[in-house]
Amino acid sequence: MNIYIYDDYLNKSKYSRVLNRVEIRLTDLGLNGKIIRLGAIKNIRDVIQNEIKNGAKTIIAVGNNQTVNKIIGSVIDNEMYGFFQKNILFSIIPIGADNSIADSLGIKKEEEACNILLARRVKKIDIGLVNNYYFLNKATIPSQGTTVEINNEYSIETVEKGIVSIYNLKSSASDDKNLKINPIDGKLDIYIKNKDKDSTFISVKKLKITNKNYPLLLDNIIEIKTPADISVITGKLNVVVGKDRSFE
Amino acid sequence: MFNKDNKPEKFKDAETIIGASIKVKGNFHGQGNIIIEGQLEGNLRTEANLFVGDKAKIVANIEANDAIINGEIKGSLKIHQYLAIGQNAKITGDVNYSEISIERGATINGQILCIPNSGKSNKNKPVEEETASEEE
Repeated sequence: MNIYIYDDYLNKSKYSRVLNRVEIRLTDLGLNGKIIRLGAIKNIRDVIQNEIKNGAKTIIAVGNNQTVNKIIGSVIDNEMYGFFQKNILFSIIPIGADNSIADSLGIKKEEEACNILLARRVKKIDIGLVNNYYFLNKATIPSQGTTVEINNEYSIETVEKGIVSIYNLKSSASDDKNLKINPIDGKLDIYIKNKDKDSTFISVKKLKITNKNYPLLLDNIIEIKTPADISVITGKLNVVVGKDRSFE
Repeated sequence: MFNKDNKPEKFKDAETIIGASIKVKGNFHGQGNIIIEGQLEGNLRTEANLFVGDKAKIVANIEANDAIINGEIKGSLKIHQYLAIGQNAKITGDVNYSEISIERGATINGQILCIPNSGKSNKNKPVEEETASEEE
C-alpha cells in the first residue's frame, strides 16, 4: 500500500491544479494510496509508524525538502516496528520550490515522479545523524569560529570566512559540481569553501562540530546548537530513485 | 604528467584536499591521495600519494607512497617510492626515499637516505647516506 504525506502548504489554492494532475497520473498508473495531510495531525511519527504496522510498503513525501525532513525520522526510526520497516520504500513527489533532495535522487518534476514511483528503481542510501536528528542532504555552518574534530584524531580550523558543509547526498544546486559525493559509500564528505579557488574536501565517518556563535543547519531547515556529534548510518533508507540521480 | 596547476594527473581524484586557509592539527591518516595547500601540525600518513603546494606549511612527520613537495616542511619525510622536491620546497628534517628528483632552488636540511624500492617493509636498509644542506 502507498501512503502519500501531503505537506501543509499544499492546501493553498495555487497548488490545487498540480495536485490534481499528480492524483490523476497516480490513478492512471494504478498507484493509488492513502493520503495523509500533515496539517491535520499532531504526531506524525505515530501516524506513520501505525501505517507501516498496518502494511504500508511505500511512504511518499509530497512537497519539498522540508516535508522530507519532517517525516524522514518517522520512516527510518524502526525501534518499535523494525520487522515491518525492513523493506519500506521512501519516495518524493516534489511540488514547488526548495526540492534539492528530490533533485539529487533524480526526481525533477511532479509527473515524472509518478513514473519513477512506478518503475521502483531502489537504492539503499546512507543517512546523516546529528545528535538525535537525521539529515539526507547536508549540514552547514559558517566557517568563522568553527572547529571540526575528526575521530578524536585531528581538528580543522578555518582562517577565512566561508561555509563548512557536511554532505551525505549531493544536490544539483551544490556550490561545486565537481564534488564527488556518494550517499552509498558509508561516509560523509566535509567541504569547506572560502574563496573561489580555495576549497577543502575530506571524507569521514564521524566528526564533531563546535561553534559558539552559529548553529548547525540541517537540510536548510533544522537549526541545531553545537557542539554537535555527526555520524553516518550506512544503508539505512530504501529510496526510489530516477535515472538522473546525482550518484551511481 | 603535470597539469597547469603543477599537480600530476593522478591527484585529480584526490581523496582529501586541505585548502590554503585551513589549519589541521593532529594525526592525519588517509588511504587515498592527499593534497595539502594549507597548514598542518602533527603527523601525516597516507597509503597513497601526497602533494604539498608551494604555500603549504607543515610541521609534521610524513609518510606516503609517492610525494611531490613544493612547500615548507619541518619534520621527517618517509616516502616509499618516488619523491619529487620542487624549487620552492624547504625541508628541515630527515628524508627517506626510493627514487628522488630535486629542482634547483630547493632547500633540504637533514639526512637524506635512499631505501630500496620494495614498498613499506622494515627490512629496507640505506644504500646511500649523506647529510645535506643543499641550495643549488
